[in-house]
Amino acid sequence: MIKTEKLTKIYPSGTQALDNLSIHVEEGEIFGFLGPNGAGKSTTIKILTTLSRPTSGYAWISGYNVQTEPNKVRCSIGYVAQETGVDYFLSGRENLVLQGRLYRMDSKTISRRVEELLELFDLKDSADALVSNYSGGMRRKLDIATALIHNPKILFLDEPTIGLDPHSRSSLWNFIRMLNKDLKVTLFLTTHYLDEADKLSNRIGILHKGSMKIVDTPEALKDSIKGDSITLSLNSGEKEKANSILKDNSIVKELLCEDGHVRVYVNNGSEAIPALMKLLTQHGIEILSLTISRPSLDDVYLKYSGVSFKEGDSSEGSNPWWAQWQKGGWGKKWKGEGKREGEKSEEKPWEKWNNKQEESWDKSKNQEEPWKKWQGKS
Amino acid sequence: MICLISDTWYLFNKYVRITLRMPMWALFTIIQPLIWLLIFGQLFKNMASLPGFPAGRYMDFFLPGAVIMTVLFGTSWSGVSLLREINFGTVEKMLVTPVSRISIVMSRVIHSAFTVIIQCLIIFIVALIFGVRVSGFSGMLLSLIVVFLLAVGFSGISNGLAIWIKREEPLVVMGNMMTLPLMFFSSAMVPKSFMPEWIRIITMVNPIDYAVEAIRVFYTGVVSSEAVFAGFAFLVLFALVSISWATEMFVNQSE
Repeated sequence: MIKTEKLTKIYPSGTQALDNLSIHVEEGEIFGFLGPNGAGKSTTIKILTTLSRPTSGYAWISGYNVQTEPNKVRCSIGYVAQETGVDYFLSGRENLVLQGRLYRMDSKTISRRVEELLELFDLKDSADALVSNYSGGMRRKLDIATALIHNPKILFLDEPTIGLDPHSRSSLWNFIRMLNKDLKVTLFLTTHYLDEADKLSNRIGILHKGSMKIVDTPEALKDSIKGDSITLSLNSGEKEKANSILKDNSIVKELLCEDGHVRVYVNNGSEAIPALMKLLTQHGIEILSLTISRPSLDDVYLKYSGVSFKEGDSSEGSNPWWAQWQKGGWGKKWKGEGKREGEKSEEKPWEKWNNKQEESWDKSKNQEEPWKKWQGKS
Repeated sequence: MICLISDTWYLFNKYVRITLRMPMWALFTIIQPLIWLLIFGQLFKNMASLPGFPAGRYMDFFLPGAVIMTVLFGTSWSGVSLLREINFGTVEKMLVTPVSRISIVMSRVIHSAFTVIIQCLIIFIVALIFGVRVSGFSGMLLSLIVVFLLAVGFSGISNGLAIWIKREEPLVVMGNMMTLPLMFFSSAMVPKSFMPEWIRIITMVNPIDYAVEAIRVFYTGVVSSEAVFAGFAFLVLFALVSISWATEMFVNQSE
């Protein structure tokens, strides 16, 4: 369904966002594309959705070449971007109809699809309200609905749950599963939430600095690190010392040093801890704190990319033209700053304002609920 | 081609809808041109008594000026909302569909020309009430065509600049910097015979001056002068160049 071959993208600024990336996504899959900001996730999606051109390499969607047959590709995919692109001053229904028009569907098909989608996404009651009155979760749902208007077989989701509260997040996850199961939509989703990739995807690809480190099922990835992981935090000077002591020890299967932490992989955590503590205190190393955990995707990520997920390179090299100016401004002078702002840029002032609106919307909903309860009782 | 027209139509429809949903905007749209006409008409009232002043009353003379001011202030900011749509991801949502890229720019430009035409109609009605001499219905129609061309031109420039500059604040500054001097370098407020020589030379390449002269002749004078038709051709050229520049910028950037 989705196939890329040696995809490379170098931005005019010199940033290499993708480095010979080859992906193969099967029909009916949920493919989770995992990586920190700046790993090249968005760039990949932009190329696959015809919004950006690769510097070299090829990509095919349902057999159509992304570069030479863009309109055929566009008609067979849906795209849900990080920013909800729905128009705030139109109603939900108008947004859906307009998107149908842009896909050049005929009026009959549009009105049929609009009703179907409003039903499916449970937006019927607010279909004729302006989107500016929607809550964040509803806006997201509408955004996904508009991407499905032309009944695409593949749906791209770029950080679908970013900025959503836990409740809307899990309900969105259910939607995504439902789309895949009932509507047989192949899903390609990027995320930088490990749990999201873990819970949703059939297969996960770990992207680091523009190239794919590994592709496998979440279970297989976690199984590749057996046993338990123990994170020791030590005084800064003693990391090297601890490292050399633990390295040759027979309990320790694998050892990774991070900023201020030493991560140790062992077969049995509860048995290994007393031995480890004893060993380190013998050498006069003080353990500040200690945590034991089952290997998570974070450990997997650490294993395959060499950096902890949280500390991954956050330089945003994947800026498309419209993101470049909102982050970097114009001129090279700001480029350096723009890069570091990868994370910050999610908090644009107007978004804050929106969030406030969402809150008040949610509040007003909550206020309604007790009242409803009263009604039910009487 | 049919796709281009239908795409443009649906997007234009969207912008009209959005505009109509801003009652405050609609109100000021109506009030603003009246302010230009009435206040400036009063302010420069005594200029009409100076020797060599062409028209009878200053308001008769200034009417095309008020029309032009409305066009300039109404269109030179239209790029700001393009930037907003880009930041909100609305443009991206359009670009993943097969919709014609040209129509995205065209619909914006035509929408802002359309709103300006409505404003100008209101000015014409008020002018009639205040007793400005009118040459006839056809003159009014021709004036509106001139308004359309000029509006398309300036809105195109604003949209093109938006993509070039990529930031809202400098875009606003540039919009002002572009429109205000151009307006003073035309016979919108002061007759040409009152101008120093060097400004008169600038007016010869100023699309605003051609528009002012054309509206003045169409609306209040005789429609036959060759110069007016040359000006008309100049305005068509101006609109075409500006809109193709804006589309070129947009299509280039979106690929």
